[in-house]
Formats: sequence, structure tokens, C-alpha cells
Amino acid sequence: MNFQAALALGLPLGIGIAAIGSGIGLGLIGQGAMQAIGRQPEATAKIQLAMIIVAALAEALTIYAFVTMFLLSGKIGG
Amino acid sequence: MGLEFLARVRRTALWVGLVAALVTATYAAPLLALGVALGAAWSLANLALLERLIVAITGAERSSLPSVRRAVQAVAGMLALFAAGGLLLRLLSPAALMAGFFIPYAVLVLKAAALLLLPSALWKRLTQDARLASLVVALLFGAAWFAVAPLRSASIAAPGHAAAATESAQATAGPAAPGAPAGEAHEAGHEKSEGPQKFPNLITVLHRAFPNAGWSRFLEHYEVILFALLVAFLIGLVARLATRNPQLIPSGLQNAVETLVEQLNDFITGILGERHAPRFVPFLGTLFLYIWAMNLFGLIPFMDSPTSNLNVTVALALTVFVYAQYVGLRGLGLVGYLDHLMGSPRNLTGWLLVPLMLPIHVLGELAKPISLSCRLFGNIFGEDMLLVAFVSLGITTLSFAHLPFGLPLQVPFLVLALLTSTLQALVFTVLSTIYILLMLPHHDHEPGHEAEEELLEHSPI
Repeated sequence: MNFQAALALGLPLGIGIAAIGSGIGLGLIGQGAMQAIGRQPEATAKIQLAMIIVAALAEALTIYAFVTMFLLSGKIGG
Repeated sequence: MGLEFLARVRRTALWVGLVAALVTATYAAPLLALGVALGAAWSLANLALLERLIVAITGAERSSLPSVRRAVQAVAGMLALFAAGGLLLRLLSPAALMAGFFIPYAVLVLKAAALLLLPSALWKRLTQDARLASLVVALLFGAAWFAVAPLRSASIAAPGHAAAATESAQATAGPAAPGAPAGEAHEAGHEKSEGPQKFPNLITVLHRAFPNAGWSRFLEHYEVILFALLVAFLIGLVARLATRNPQLIPSGLQNAVETLVEQLNDFITGILGERHAPRFVPFLGTLFLYIWAMNLFGLIPFMDSPTSNLNVTVALALTVFVYAQYVGLRGLGLVGYLDHLMGSPRNLTGWLLVPLMLPIHVLGELAKPISLSCRLFGNIFGEDMLLVAFVSLGITTLSFAHLPFGLPLQVPFLVLALLTSTLQALVFTVLSTIYILLMLPHHDHEPGHEAEEELLEHSPI
């Protein structure tokens, strides 16, 4: 297996794995925020703000994988 | 002009020399940089000794003994300096030494020119009207651009293979339209592609139509900047139109813009608190509006999102980074800033943890602009790529019928793109706000914000 084939196999797989992790994290964040809002509806605005921030932090990891894929995908079609 | 002026010249020249030496060390050679630095230092020392000599000779108590001793010291120092200069000229490159030598004189001349220029009537006329001043600045930039044009083309043409490389790049620069015939795509395929293909926009279409004209090459090269400028211009136009004739009871455009600004103001004030917010709302609000408009700009046919280019997002993130560090340095002072970076040690455990905390905090600060820029770029670029993928999928599904259009498969993702564009602009603004909040003095926060701060203080992203 040459390195192009390795990249072509590995890059989408890497994104998928990163997306699994982010997805779990986002789900947990959403779950926590929804429960908090349900328990204390008057604090919705504050909870949403914190939720968006943390969601952005969790989601960023997938985006890094995505950017890495675009950086390396140019090397596949040599 | 007196000694105080000379002291200012010395300070400025010191900084200019330092920066010049650093730039030379980065882009040329360290030895040349040493030459520049030593030349500037020599020249500064020379100026300082001259000043002492003149003060000693022409001062009020010129015949007193200490003054004579000072004059003799200055002369001896200058002799030693000239000897050192001769030695330096032998050891280091004379050109670099001369460049460093002239830095203080250049600063002196420029400062004197500025002192003469500032009170003049012409300068006052120019700076009274903001529009006239900006016009003059734009004209100066244009003139500078054309003045350095021969230099730029010379530096491009100098290496022989570089010209060939640009030529081949021009041949493939225009990305193929999604519906382009297969032959064209194949033709472009054998060259090294710069990256995944995007939608054609106004500039790439023009560039394909006139691949060899100078102006189209210029447009293609500065595509992203031109679109960003266009967005900025449009925002300015909307703001101008909305506030041209302000009414007490707003309607129409003024109403919409006021609502937007008020929402943004409330939102940022909610995070920063009443006390600090007025200082930062203009910057952060502009950041949001600019990024939001740039993100949405790509959804207009024949336009492109400047934020789908890493250079733009890095520029934005660096602006935020530098501004946050500036706020920290101004608000906390140098000692307070270092204390903040060391994790505010207050007891023995805290001080013992400093070697661990300092690198972590410094790395955390440096990771912020990277994560900000990569997040925005990745989201907007990914959104564009998603749309491209679904448009081409729609075209391939109908390709058997040879129709000039495809299935509109991308429509649901346009709605998604609207959502991510807004959300990413919001996230960028909120994170910038938090970074600035972390740099503000700690003691007077309103209750309720400590939790967020705790959360982010220990997060590297």
C-alpha cells in the first residue's frame, strides 16, 4: 500500500472518528443544557450562551480533523 | 526642539533598530541583522556622546570642573567609538552597518518633518474632514502600490523557474464550474490542483474569460481581499443609509439596524458587564456584523465567502489575539499580566506550580487564535464544499437527459448554511468576548460570571 492509498483510506476514517467523539460530546452538552433549562426555565438565556460556547469548543475538534483532511487531500491525487 | 526631542528620537530609533534587526534576521541572515543592530547602536551612542559634549560645552556652568571633565569624557568616548567602528567595518558587512547607522538619522529627519508638518494649514485642512483624509490615505496607498510595482515584478521574475510556475498556475487557476464538460475537468486534472474546487464566482468567471489580461490576473490574485472589501463597503453603505436621516420613531431600515445593534449591545453587555462593555461593544459588534456578512456573502450567486479562505480568518483571529493581549497589558500592567500568565500564585503551592502553569497559560493563549481561525475557516469552507458536492450530485443524476440544469439537491443545505453562518459568527464573537473578559481585572465581576470563567480558564481551546 503506497501512501496515497493510506491517505485515501485514513482521511475519511479520521474525520468519522473525530465526528463520533464530537457527536457524543455535543449530545451530552445538549442533554445537560436541556435538563438545566427544564429545571430552571428563567435561566434559559444564560444556559444557552454557555451551551453555545461549549458546543463550539466540542465541535472545533471535528473541524480540526476536517481542515487536516483538506490539507492532506491534495497529496492523494498525485 | 530640545533635549527632550532628542530623547524621543533615541527611544524611537532604538525600537526601529530592534525591529529592523529582527526583520533582517528573519528574512535575510543573522549576521546582517547583527550588523544592522550594531550600526544602529553605534550611531545612537555617537549621538548621545555628541549631545553630552554639546551640553558640556554650551551649558550654563561650562567653565566649572565637572563640566570640563564631562566634555573630556565625551571626547574620549567618541575616540573609542570610532576605533570600535573601524573594527566593526572590517568584521561585518559595511552595507548592513551603514543601514543601521542611518536609522537614527532617518528617525530624526522624519520626526522633524512631522513637527513642521503638523501645525501647518494644509495638514489642518486635510485632517478636518474625515472623507478628505481617507481619500488622501487611499491615494497615497495607490501611489505607493504603483511605486513599488517594478520592485515586485523584479522579485517575481528573478528566479527563472518562478515565472514558469506562475504561467502554469494561470492556466489552471479558474476552478471548473460544477457543470463543466468532463474534458475540461480532465484537462485541469493532470496539473497540480491547488485544492478542492469551489463554486465559480464573478472574479473567477472574469478570469476564465480573460486569462491573460493584467487586470483579470490582478483580480484573481486578490480575489479574497476584494470580496472582503466589498462586504465592508456594503456594511458601511447600509449603516450610512440607515442613519442618514434619523427619526425618533424609527421605521424601515433604521428600525432593523437599530434592533440589530441593540441586540448585539445587550448580548455583549450581558457577558462583559455594564462597566467594561461600552469599551468593547464597538469592536466586538463590528466583528460580528463583518463576519456574519462575509459568511452569508458566499450564498449570493457569483459571490464568494472571504471567510472560506484561511488567510482572512487568521487575520481576524490575530486581530482579536493582539487586542486581547493589549487589553490585558493595559488593564493589569506588565506585572499583573505576568502574574495572570503564571496563574496568580498567592502561596507556596502556587509558586511551586509556576513552572508548570506558565507554559500551559502561554500555550493556551497561543492556541486561541489558531482555534478561532480554524473553526471559522473549517465551518464556512466545509459548508461551501457541502453545497458544491450536492450541486454536482444533482447534475450527475440528471446527466443522462443532457439537460442544462440539475436537480436542486442543495436547497436543504442552503438553509443549514444560513444557520451555520450565523452561528459561527456568533461563536467567534462570543469567544472573542470571553478572551477579552479573561484579560480584564478579576476583582469586580458581577456574580454569575465566575462559572463561565472557571470553565474557560482551564480549557486550552
